[in-house]
Amino acid sequence: MFEVEWGDYAPDLLTGLLKTLEFTAAGFAGAALLGLVLALLRRSALRPLRVVAAVYTEVFKNIPLLAIIFLTYFGLASQGVKLSVFQAGTLSLIIFYASYLSEIFRGAIGGVHAGQQEAAEALGLSRRSTFAHVVFPQALRSALPGTNTMLVDLLKSTSLLVTISAAELMSEGQLIASETFRALEVYAVIAALYFVVCYPLSQGLLWFERQIAAGVPLLPRRRRRMRAVRALLKEGVPA
Amino acid sequence: MTSAIRIEGLVKSYDAERVVLDDVALTVPSSQIVSIIGSSGGGKTTLLRCVNLLERPNDGTIEIDGEPIFSGGRVVCPSLARLRQRVGMVFQRFNLFPHLTAVENVMLAQLHATGTDEHEAVGRAVALLRRVGLAHRATAYPEQMSGGEQQRVAIARALALRPTVLLFDEPTSSLDPESTNEVLRVMRELADDGMTMLLVTHELPFAREVSDWVVFIDRGKIVEEGPPADVLDRPSQERTRAYVRTYAGERAESLSSALAAS
Repeated sequence: MFEVEWGDYAPDLLTGLLKTLEFTAAGFAGAALLGLVLALLRRSALRPLRVVAAVYTEVFKNIPLLAIIFLTYFGLASQGVKLSVFQAGTLSLIIFYASYLSEIFRGAIGGVHAGQQEAAEALGLSRRSTFAHVVFPQALRSALPGTNTMLVDLLKSTSLLVTISAAELMSEGQLIASETFRALEVYAVIAALYFVVCYPLSQGLLWFERQIAAGVPLLPRRRRRMRAVRALLKEGVPA
Repeated sequence: MTSAIRIEGLVKSYDAERVVLDDVALTVPSSQIVSIIGSSGGGKTTLLRCVNLLERPNDGTIEIDGEPIFSGGRVVCPSLARLRQRVGMVFQRFNLFPHLTAVENVMLAQLHATGTDEHEAVGRAVALLRRVGLAHRATAYPEQMSGGEQQRVAIARALALRPTVLLFDEPTSSLDPESTNEVLRVMRELADDGMTMLLVTHELPFAREVSDWVVFIDRGKIVEEGPPADVLDRPSQERTRAYVRTYAGERAESLSSALAAS
């Protein structure tokens, strides 16, 4: 049933897959960072900052990703701002997903109980320490499920970059299909490759969520600390 | 004798209609225990929360260890963080950090507020958990602990920076009678060790037993204050009498029903 010589195309598919992962990594890292900044701006005491962040979120949440891709690649080029395919693609993913992630982060930060902030303040922790060690870790836990869904969604959305020939997996598929005229077979294989990457990723992220929910210390620093505590407990009360 | 806490002319209001504290004066001498009693909504908790400036008063002065921290409607201490390291606080709802184990809860402020080194912080945290009888729960998370255990961890956490004063905001109000006794036992030991404490409570028998001074506050004003034997057993004001009658009765009832259930 397979008539395409897949062995010949394996290197192309691998390159495309790596490109897809590059777009995913760069796009997600940027979107998470910008999303966090937007979420913090929306909690700012200064109204103008809140408004700017809210307008950003509403605008880009309600525009299709494809329109953003065309705007950053073709639109900016027409005004003399020439971005490379990788720059335009990554920028589009960042702009679009930051608006969704900021909503998830905003909800997660707001969901941390006010008593937590107070307890940290009452212990003399600075605002920065309170956020870093009390609010952020708790918000991260409740933001994980939504954030993980967005990460997988972003990976799949990189396929839209086929429209600007971004050399990622979908673009490679399109090339192979046009050379072999075997559209069904080619796109079935491409779809399967997306599945093969996305399924383990989402399962891995679920496992990660469960580990954190079960209270397993994941940072080496925390593990070292807990080992020191156990050692001290074993010693018993010093005479 | 120096005063650990000295408050004068304290006023707190949200608007003209809602005056929560009206010209309140209060002194807690070092190594003494002062209990604030009174009906809910009377201003007790607000008064307590003004001491470490979690709540900003509108007017009055507050001094901690002789150093003014609030005066003429403004915060005058150079560092709020430094102030709060000297004034520990225990909350009604514990407010432990749920993402950290018991021992990490006790370590957090040492590591990130005072920059104590890791080795020393671990040692002190474990020692404090021993002191509140919870060394065996050091690696448990708050959700795995009973209310009484959580509150004892919260006390250990408040002691971690070696504060000169401890504030307790109804520390046993959300606990069952058995957990209440655990927590009161720890507080009694602190009292015996000479800890300065300001405590808001409805536990009148406990207040009578450990307090050097009892303050009855109602509708934002101090109605009556004095040694516990006077305020609790021979109150001079009608409002104090009514309160003491109600709470003595309620407590006796809940205790007897707890006994009947066990």
